[in-house]
Amino acid sequence: MPPSTGAAVPAREWLRHHAPGLLTAAGLIGVWETAVRLSSVRLDSLPPPSGIVLAGIEAVRSGQMADDLTHTLTATLAGWAAASIAGIAAGILLIQFEGLRRFSQAAIELLRPLPPVAFVPVAVLAFGFSFATEFSVMLLPCLWPVLINTIGGLGQTPARLLEVARCCRFSRWRTLKKLTLPHAFPTILVGLRLSLSMALVLAVVTEMIGNPQGMGYALIREQQALRSDTMFAYLFVIGLTGVALNAALRQAARWLAPGWRHVL
Amino acid sequence: MRRMPFDWRGLVPILGVLALWQVLGPERSPFLPRPTEWWTGALSIIRKDDLAGAFLASLETIVSAMIFATLAGTAGGLLIGGSALARRMLTPSLEFIRAIPAAAMVPIGVLLFGYDGRMKTAIVVIGIVWPILLNVSAAVARIHPVLMDVAASLRMTRVARVVKILLPSIVPAILLGVRVALPLAVVITLVVEMLTSISGLGGLMIGAQRDYKAGQVFALLVMVGAIGLGLNLLLAWLEAHLMRYRTAPGQIHIAAGDAMTGGLLEADTE
Repeated sequence: MPPSTGAAVPAREWLRHHAPGLLTAAGLIGVWETAVRLSSVRLDSLPPPSGIVLAGIEAVRSGQMADDLTHTLTATLAGWAAASIAGIAAGILLIQFEGLRRFSQAAIELLRPLPPVAFVPVAVLAFGFSFATEFSVMLLPCLWPVLINTIGGLGQTPARLLEVARCCRFSRWRTLKKLTLPHAFPTILVGLRLSLSMALVLAVVTEMIGNPQGMGYALIREQQALRSDTMFAYLFVIGLTGVALNAALRQAARWLAPGWRHVL
Repeated sequence: MRRMPFDWRGLVPILGVLALWQVLGPERSPFLPRPTEWWTGALSIIRKDDLAGAFLASLETIVSAMIFATLAGTAGGLLIGGSALARRMLTPSLEFIRAIPAAAMVPIGVLLFGYDGRMKTAIVVIGIVWPILLNVSAAVARIHPVLMDVAASLRMTRVARVVKILLPSIVPAILLGVRVALPLAVVITLVVEMLTSISGLGGLMIGAQRDYKAGQVFALLVMVGAIGLGLNLLLAWLEAHLMRYRTAPGQIHIAAGDAMTGGLLEADTE
């Protein structure tokens, strides 16, 4: 288990547990490097790992990587935050008001399986090649995980807790604030995490197809310039960004809700 | 929220928005066409005979990629899950590859494999194989050792072990993986088609958008949505049938929403 998931694990223990995995990864990279170097055919499309690292350093040094990363991160966080707030709010409303649920459930179930990328051409039509396109494409797909998990989490409050609330004559709002929401927190957090990784993917995809800026466009730009080493470097940075965002969200949740530390 | 009879009243918001759109929307808008214009858009695509071919091309990619990914993911999962050493050796590398958004691999695939139908399928397979592989390997690793002892004391044959112990343990994991992989397959297929303008619904969409044929774009959005919905229903039906033996009274069935969170959660905490 990586150190981020459990209690503090001593570094040496961690290293010993992961040694086979890390060695295999190093071995695979070594095989890749030698295969590309020894190959008699010059493969322009498959750069050696050392070339990828050098190209990555070059992209970082020129400032291009930072610009692209900033754009993609801004878009990701903006879309995710908006979708999360809307999703939690809508989830609370749908749980509190039975009638509202009856009049929207089928609509949700009908819209949810819509493939997110299909919105890109529609958004480009409506907003052109702009930040608004990126933002609007993210909204619906990132809303679903938060909404579904909010409803699921709020609906799972043990009946006994609700009885306690009734005995104490809690108001509806107070029950929500004191019991059901804290109880649903881990479930909602799962939704938030799913939605965050979805937001990053959609930002990259929209940049590839719709808004020519950021990390996604960088991939296309480097592909068309036949600079495959730089393209691989961007690809790895995108992967690392996803891991980092997820870890940051976990850490933030642990910090915000110390009471749930055992499940986070 | 789930396992409830379908309530038609729930469609009111969608129908309401569409009706308002139709009444209040500007005529012949190049950006947000009215629903009646979607219909004319749909008719014009059908009349050009593009639709059937594009639909089949997309569907063929999705289906063949799903089949390849399920086979490869199950085989890989059995190999990795079956041996603790293999698991420890490969997990970090696999986790890293899994962390890269599948759609971002499309440009790499284009560069490596070029522009053709096989490239399309290959990229989709690379993108969707992970949830199946990781779920199966986790399920194999989780088979209780007592079950194996039981098999040994009953002197089960190899075939009997596979049929009676291995398959029942991994089929739910495969299904869970497939459930996560299917929407991904649709998405990645569309991305590949949009990026390369290869034949398929994604290619049609991006073409219509470039020509500012707004009605057609919206018509295609509805069609793509219908495919997503149809595949989802098919999978739910399949799962209900294959998993019947698991839903004994008192057991909780994995429903749509949980499957998504369950699959990713499981992969995340591996």
